[in-house]
Amino acid sequence: MSKEPIIEVRDLSKHYVLNRHAGPKSDTLYGSVLGAVKGLRQLGRARETEEFWALKDVSFSVQRGDRVGVIGRNGAGKSTLLKILSRITPPTSGHIQYSGRMASLLEVGTGFHGDLSGRENIYLNGSILGMNKQEIDKKFDEIVAFSEVERFLDTPVKRYSSGMYVRLAFSVAAHLDPEILIVDEVLAVGDAAFQKKCLGKMNEVSKSEGRTILFVSHNMQAIQKLCNKGLYLNKGRMHSYGDIDDIVGHYLQSGEASQAEFTLPLPETESFGYAHTVFIEDLQGRPLVEIPVGDDWRARILFRILKPTPHFIVGFGIVSLFEQPIRTSWSAPEDFQPGDYEIIFENTDLMLTTGVYTVVIGLSSEQKTFQYVDKTVSLSISDAGDTSHNKRIVNTQSGLILNPMPVSLRKL
Amino acid sequence: MLRYKSLLSNLARRDFLVRYKQAFAGIVWALVKPLVSILVFGYIASKINSSESTARNFLYVASAMLLWQLFANVFNEVSNSIVGNANLFSKVYFPKIIIPLSTLLVCLVDFLISLLILIALFIVAGEPVHWQMVMAPLFILLTLINGFGIGLYFATVNVKYRDVKFVVPVLVQFGMYLSPVIFPTSYYLERLPSWLHWVFCLNPMVGAIDGFKYCLFGGEAIGNPQAFALSVAVSFLFLFIGIRYFFKFERSFVDYI
Repeated sequence: MSKEPIIEVRDLSKHYVLNRHAGPKSDTLYGSVLGAVKGLRQLGRARETEEFWALKDVSFSVQRGDRVGVIGRNGAGKSTLLKILSRITPPTSGHIQYSGRMASLLEVGTGFHGDLSGRENIYLNGSILGMNKQEIDKKFDEIVAFSEVERFLDTPVKRYSSGMYVRLAFSVAAHLDPEILIVDEVLAVGDAAFQKKCLGKMNEVSKSEGRTILFVSHNMQAIQKLCNKGLYLNKGRMHSYGDIDDIVGHYLQSGEASQAEFTLPLPETESFGYAHTVFIEDLQGRPLVEIPVGDDWRARILFRILKPTPHFIVGFGIVSLFEQPIRTSWSAPEDFQPGDYEIIFENTDLMLTTGVYTVVIGLSSEQKTFQYVDKTVSLSISDAGDTSHNKRIVNTQSGLILNPMPVSLRKL
Repeated sequence: MLRYKSLLSNLARRDFLVRYKQAFAGIVWALVKPLVSILVFGYIASKINSSESTARNFLYVASAMLLWQLFANVFNEVSNSIVGNANLFSKVYFPKIIIPLSTLLVCLVDFLISLLILIALFIVAGEPVHWQMVMAPLFILLTLINGFGIGLYFATVNVKYRDVKFVVPVLVQFGMYLSPVIFPTSYYLERLPSWLHWVFCLNPMVGAIDGFKYCLFGGEAIGNPQAFALSVAVSFLFLFIGIRYFFKFERSFVDYI
């Protein structure tokens, strides 16, 4: 085997410019004409732009057969790195050299169309991922068998259950045959048993067929099991790169592996106000980076109201990683005056199984939503070893919701 | 590029299948829109343009209208194709030109179905078969080039400025009245002051429609050859500009969408 690296990345940087100027939006033609006219009048005054380096000077090389786990907290640049490596977005500067066919899997079921049947979607999705007709024909039976949806092959996928949908989508992806495979956190979807099957499949192809894999995950256990090398990103820069166990060690020691405090993106347009920070904590207010399965927790949201807001409501929802809303709660409508506020949503009754969930937050006035935040706040519910203190939980694999039903049994 | 052949055909297949799924009358709908336009505008033309017989007026309108609708469809669909499929290329890499190309294929299939109307009308009217008809596909191709070139330009602009989706239908609607769809080119040229003649012929659809009619009606109905040549030249200029502009910005689409 040659020692030539299969991927060579040098000084990779990606730079975004965020426009935060109050004024007409520049993403319509009209807005940008208006902006230009305004700009003429304000000539000489600095325009309010914010520069942001999503990645800065990242260099590393990957040997053939390496399985690299990319870790770092949200916003560290992991997704940007994968997007650049898969050629979806160009880097601002730097070079990448590949010497092999590459396929990326940043999402399962890209291009799936609800009106098409499972069979049609296998061909569509397969070709989007880079397989040609002969390859798909050859693997068709294997894909179907792996997905366990044989009976519904000619049913439109919009009638599938979410589990079936994910299984079919992943099965297509799992049968890709590139030399380099780039995988974002796609394994986080699906039920536990299927996740295990997917990880097994990835393990099998990478180890037996010597495939090169780049894998992003927040699941350290999965990363350590699958990967032999780790790349740790911190605020767009490369913190360290090397043996997976060392890298995961660095990461966990840094204490940034998970978070209990989230800063929300500010809404683009000015309105009544905005929520800016969310804390996930226990009922005593201690931050919880990971919620022990079955335990009570609460979300504390800080928000600012800028002008009198009639009929104001805060909505809070929990969504599975497969974008299935699990529960949503609303505050009672009230008229609000300007000021800083805090609202707490307590979760004391619902026991969710282990996994990562995301939170949706919506602020509305008179039925009109003026801020909507999703995919920024995540909840990590973990099986921190011992659940014996929680007598109500028999088995975390038994379902999404672990609350048992009242059962009565008698002899007749 | 060859590697992406099956992607191209699968995307086109998807658009085509999805459109007529759950539609009881299915593909028949591809015939309804052109048929209605032909009836309405054929009637208007035969009332106003009394220098031709009613049957001829209808045939002229039918052939020009179908070609115009091909152009309008390609233009409109290609303009929206990139924004409409953003979910694909923000997750997977493939040459982005595949998307407008697959759109083009779908529009062409629709057109070929609607050609049935034209064939039926020709048979009913007892129009003779001319040898020039073998050249008709060239002008179908020219129409595709027109729609594709201009469409690519608008598709690129659309990535940053979403106004495009409102502008295109307006252009299409106005364009029809500025093209020899309802009346032949000669009808317009007779009524326009002579200094406006070349402006009229800057419209790339003038050449395509006149050429198409020339083929179908055995050498009749073409405007003047210079005007025709100018119009065809504009077609290729637009294609060139559209493609250049598209490829210049293609790489950064994801960052704007």
